[in-house]
Amino acid sequence: MEEKGAAEAAAMSGGEAGAEASAGMKVAVAVDASEESLHALAWALDNIVVRRGVSSLVIVHAQPGADHYVYPVAAHGIAIAYAPAAAIESMRKAQDEISRKVVSRALDACKQREASVNATGAILEGDAKEAICQAVEEMHADLLVLGSRGLGKIKRAFLGSVSDYLVHHACCPVLVVKPSKAHDK
Amino acid sequence: MASPAPAPAQQQQQRGEPKPQKVMVAVDESECSHYALEWALRSLAPVIAPPLLVLTVQPLLPIGYVSAASFGAPLGMPVVAPELIKSMQERQQQLSKALIDKAKEICAQHGVSVEAMIEVGDPKEMICEAAEESKVDLLIVGSHSRGPVQRLFLGSVSNYCMHHSKCPVLVVKKQD
Repeated sequence: MEEKGAAEAAAMSGGEAGAEASAGMKVAVAVDASEESLHALAWALDNIVVRRGVSSLVIVHAQPGADHYVYPVAAHGIAIAYAPAAAIESMRKAQDEISRKVVSRALDACKQREASVNATGAILEGDAKEAICQAVEEMHADLLVLGSRGLGKIKRAFLGSVSDYLVHHACCPVLVVKPSKAHDK
Repeated sequence: MASPAPAPAQQQQQRGEPKPQKVMVAVDESECSHYALEWALRSLAPVIAPPLLVLTVQPLLPIGYVSAASFGAPLGMPVVAPELIKSMQERQQQLSKALIDKAKEICAQHGVSVEAMIEVGDPKEMICEAAEESKVDLLIVGSHSRGPVQRLFLGSVSNYCMHHSKCPVLVVKKQD
């Protein structure tokens, strides 16, 4: 994992910091369609990728599994019907499309900053928190970066919070970036 | 303001080259917070604008327990011997100082200058307050990795900080 690939990026920005950027770091950034996650990605790019250099950056996006697609049908007797196979297929395609857009938007953000980093995207399926947790473990990430919607306590309890789960279960340090409230430095 | 003074990197302002961040690490006597400090020094040294702020929060003295110990003292006597309180306070201060010294040592090993802060009060609230007052750009805390039930009852400093701090929070869990 000690790739020297990021040495160029590290040298141009990390050299003057005194401490040499040692072994390359693998950073995973979880994105979804929200602006907050893009903001988190931007923060990570500016402060970690450019300043310190990473050996690889992986954009992960979790899309819900296809078996969640049931819909209530107002038919006699049966209140819920499982979606027919064709509908599932087309929903899955739509989901894939959305996921691809989300990941490519994130990868574009990486390119814009001209961060000379090896950025790849990964689309995971299933429950977001568990899928991301597992992916981070499998890829041996050194750091996971998340955005946070800043939900209040109650919403967080009902809707569940991906960032809460990951902070406590991920196998690596987790950086949670909140949307900035325009606090200038 | 939060901009670091000495960093010479600011001269290459090609496209708004991102500047080093003002970072605060909260430590207490737990191993996991020192692990968090070491991780930060190892992995994020170029990101940190010197000096690194290291904060430890002394919990308020549990005066309630101390009072209970003198239950049954005759009326009119001071409920808690002032010497006892004083010695407890001194002990707390010694502990905090020892923590700060240990943190300074770790930072010195990595060649990072450090500024120490000691606050008194409820740890989670004081950490967030101090981070806000010092206008830090990044707050780093350790995490005990307690189970969900314990976390619910004992509370979690890292959880609180994550929800209430205005700046990004990095939670470093010590891996077994």
